Amino acid sequence: MQILTQLVFSGIALGMIYAVIAFGYQLTFSTSDTLNFGQGDALMLGALVGLTLVGHGVNYWLMIPLVCLFGALQGAFVERIGVRPAIKIKSEFGWIMSTIALGIIFKNVAENVWGRDDLKFPSPLPEAPIKLLGANVLPMEILVVVGALLMMLAVELFNRRSIYGRAVVATFNDRDAAKLMGINTGLVITFSYALSSLTAAFAGVLIAPLTLTGATMGAVLGLKAFAVAIIGGLTSGMGIIVGGIILGIAETTTGFYLSTGYKDVPGLVLLLIVLALKPAGLFGKTAIKKV
Amino acid sequence: MMFSARWITATALAAASFAALAADPIKIGVSGPFTGGSSSMGVSMRDGVRLAAQEINKNGGVLGRQIQLVERDDEAKNERGVQIAQELINREKVVATVGFINTGVALAAQRFYQDAKIPVMNNVATGSVITQQFKDQPENYVFRNAAHDSIQAPMIVEEAITRRGFKKVAILADSTNYGQLGRADLEKALELKGIKPVAVEKFNIKDVDMTAQLLKAKEAGAEAILTYGIGPELAQIANGMTKLGWKVPMVGSWTLSMANYIDNAGPGGEGARMPQTFIQEPTTPKRQSFIVNYLKTFNPKNSRIDSPVSAAQGYDSIYLLAAAIKQAGSTEGPKVKAALEDLKAPVEGVVTTYNKPFTKTDHEAITANIPVFGEVKGQRVVYAYEADFKAASEVKVKDVNAKGALTQKK
Repeated sequence: MQILTQLVFSGIALGMIYAVIAFGYQLTFSTSDTLNFGQGDALMLGALVGLTLVGHGVNYWLMIPLVCLFGALQGAFVERIGVRPAIKIKSEFGWIMSTIALGIIFKNVAENVWGRDDLKFPSPLPEAPIKLLGANVLPMEILVVVGALLMMLAVELFNRRSIYGRAVVATFNDRDAAKLMGINTGLVITFSYALSSLTAAFAGVLIAPLTLTGATMGAVLGLKAFAVAIIGGLTSGMGIIVGGIILGIAETTTGFYLSTGYKDVPGLVLLLIVLALKPAGLFGKTAIKKV
Repeated sequence: MMFSARWITATALAAASFAALAADPIKIGVSGPFTGGSSSMGVSMRDGVRLAAQEINKNGGVLGRQIQLVERDDEAKNERGVQIAQELINREKVVATVGFINTGVALAAQRFYQDAKIPVMNNVATGSVITQQFKDQPENYVFRNAAHDSIQAPMIVEEAITRRGFKKVAILADSTNYGQLGRADLEKALELKGIKPVAVEKFNIKDVDMTAQLLKAKEAGAEAILTYGIGPELAQIANGMTKLGWKVPMVGSWTLSMANYIDNAGPGGEGARMPQTFIQEPTTPKRQSFIVNYLKTFNPKNSRIDSPVSAAQGYDSIYLLAAAIKQAGSTEGPKVKAALEDLKAPVEGVVTTYNKPFTKTDHEAITANIPVFGEVKGQRVVYAYEADFKAASEVKVKDVNAKGALTQKK
């Protein structure tokens, strides 16, 4: 039992890491039907910028807003350069290539600026584990879970309660109608990209003390998060969290009970099953595309 | 008679071309990962190579010609290694190539050198099969001056089982060629001691969570963990143990000395032990001058060479090649290879003094008696045993009869 608790806790911590990144995919999808495939790299840039700031003596907690600001600018940049032109000419797939391309460019830039090695991100919390229901948990893992939940809650509240958030929702529901109602949909989309990279950058500094920080850290995480977004549903914040936790727990438990060689398989099998049976994701609304 | 006539013509031609080309540099390829998870080994190796080439060039070069390094980043990717091999052979026309950190890259790339009859000196990659790849061919162009896994695996087992008396051990290895070949060697070496590992677990490069692997080892009652992986993931293992509040000794392949293991594992990584051909201690005048010059030229963080073993072996690999080229009096692949297999003068290196390091059938310069155990202590790698440290000033030379290595399958 104790083992299972430990596996579940580790799975939740891992799953929340995936979920915060997947959340960024959901943000842009919900306004523009596009995804930022450079999400993993936005996370990596956030973590590395954060590391540099901490290295210059900035306090970890003070550094977070600065990194968020950086993330927002970076996201707006991606949207302006890579996504807007594609949306303008109504290209179905142009944004896929351009966001991937920008992601690769960011990675190369990071390699040149921060070097090639994985770096240690100093943990703001004690690194000694604490006991919880008989299992060991790192304080940092709790921070990741709490931080991720708070962040998603804040964004959801913003979307539901504020007038700007309603503009975001309206843009998703019907871009043309929203435009006719006087909403600057272009700005809303830029904003959603900024918000999406902001969350990624925030996720980066949140998880960096647990993972290692380096130019290549985003690739695998970005991909796993994509699987989470598909499993949970690209239109549902709730689905992202559940999807992340499912994938995380699937990885740790398979690793233990089956074989560590196969630990990535169940998550991906689940992905295939979800795609076959419920293409919009476990919690997603089935979107009917009108042609 | 025919033979001698031809030989004379060849020598005359060689002499003529030598005079004509006297000013041309000797191009030596350097292939290694200078980016990514194995880069601390790749970069240290390259810097060791650079240092040796600089020294040789300062002293007039080889055969009156300067050494020119052609460095390429193989990113630890097999396909990049292959592209680089083709580029170095066909476009750069290198005389020889040193390098290869990653066993997989070495295996994929060195066949092109074999076909082109250009010697390859593996100075870091440790997979046992590397020098055996072309054993069945009449001429084998692949050499190595690193401690191969058939030496390292029994050393690790000897340390864990015999010296420290652990009965139950778990193996954690990564899913690359390096990790899996090493795991097989570890299992073989354990079998010789009549021991079966209580758990054998795998992890992927870039994995951030090792809970499942460690819990399995813990549940199986492992008293020590034997590792085969590279720095960042090894650090995640140490961090995972800290998290689980379960601390057993880590004994593993030489990669536990990588800077990115030591830095990322922090206090949790202390005490890990691994076989080392070189430890950053000025135990002989040659080692002292190497360390001083390396620190002066490349100025690494905290005066610590990121991967001292890679740097030392990289440095030595160039001296071995230079000695062979000098003895051959030529830069032609077959002649350099023949000279390497029969080096007349001993080559004083950092790791050891190479006295007839290679023969026609034996392309391994390092034997089981040369490596010692290092231990991570105070964020550096130091000698694990005081006795080894005291004896270090006496250079251990190659001993083909040294016991301890796994026998190679023919």
